[in-house]
Amino acid sequence: MIITYEDIIIRTLTRVLAPFLQIYALYVLAHGHYSPGGGFQGGVMLGASMILMVIAFGLDTTLKRLSEKADTILFVVGLLLYSGVGVLCLALGGNYLDYGKLAEILPVTIAKARSLGILFIETGVALGVMGIMVSLFYDISTGGLPPAREGR
Amino acid sequence: MALSLLVLLCLYRAVFGPFITNRIVGVSAIGTKTLIILLLMGFIYDRVDMFVDISIAYALLNFITTLAAAKYFEIKGEV
Repeated sequence: MIITYEDIIIRTLTRVLAPFLQIYALYVLAHGHYSPGGGFQGGVMLGASMILMVIAFGLDTTLKRLSEKADTILFVVGLLLYSGVGVLCLALGGNYLDYGKLAEILPVTIAKARSLGILFIETGVALGVMGIMVSLFYDISTGGLPPAREGR
Repeated sequence: MALSLLVLLCLYRAVFGPFITNRIVGVSAIGTKTLIILLLMGFIYDRVDMFVDISIAYALLNFITTLAAAKYFEIKGEV
């Protein structure tokens, strides 16, 4: 369904822009508690870089880089990270997602533990959002069929 | 102020544009002007470092949106 773009401008631009977009998404993710941004925005930009690659290089090339199975594993790991930190705080005697309790198992102060906890949560959210976005895009652009059976 | 007027002109082209290409270019131009207005807002509030982050993200997503729309209409064969 998605054919390869034979346009050299867009392919060259994507080759430059996609790594920049991913690095910038990591910056937005890691800097999320000091500046605008955070897990959701970083995840959206990571997903947008994969969508840009599908637009420029076609679906098959992108599926070689990030298969649907790897994508599923990514967002499951993101969800596990989020709920795992939450349940860990619950197990340490606090409320769900009460990051201050993480100071009991990490060698840091309570304030630092809160900062680290929100970073873990945001990483989980970013992985989840990116995985779901890319998965939805793959499914929409193949019509739900596996790419081999589509007969392009 | 002047930028807002220019946004309205581009909005006219995006809404009443005779062809689909006019609309795509109009929306893209509106996105670019929004970016500049964002940066000016950053100067007004004296926090440019925050607003530059938002503008870069906005510019990249605007570019991807335009590209995706152009490709979609190319596949549909309406251009």
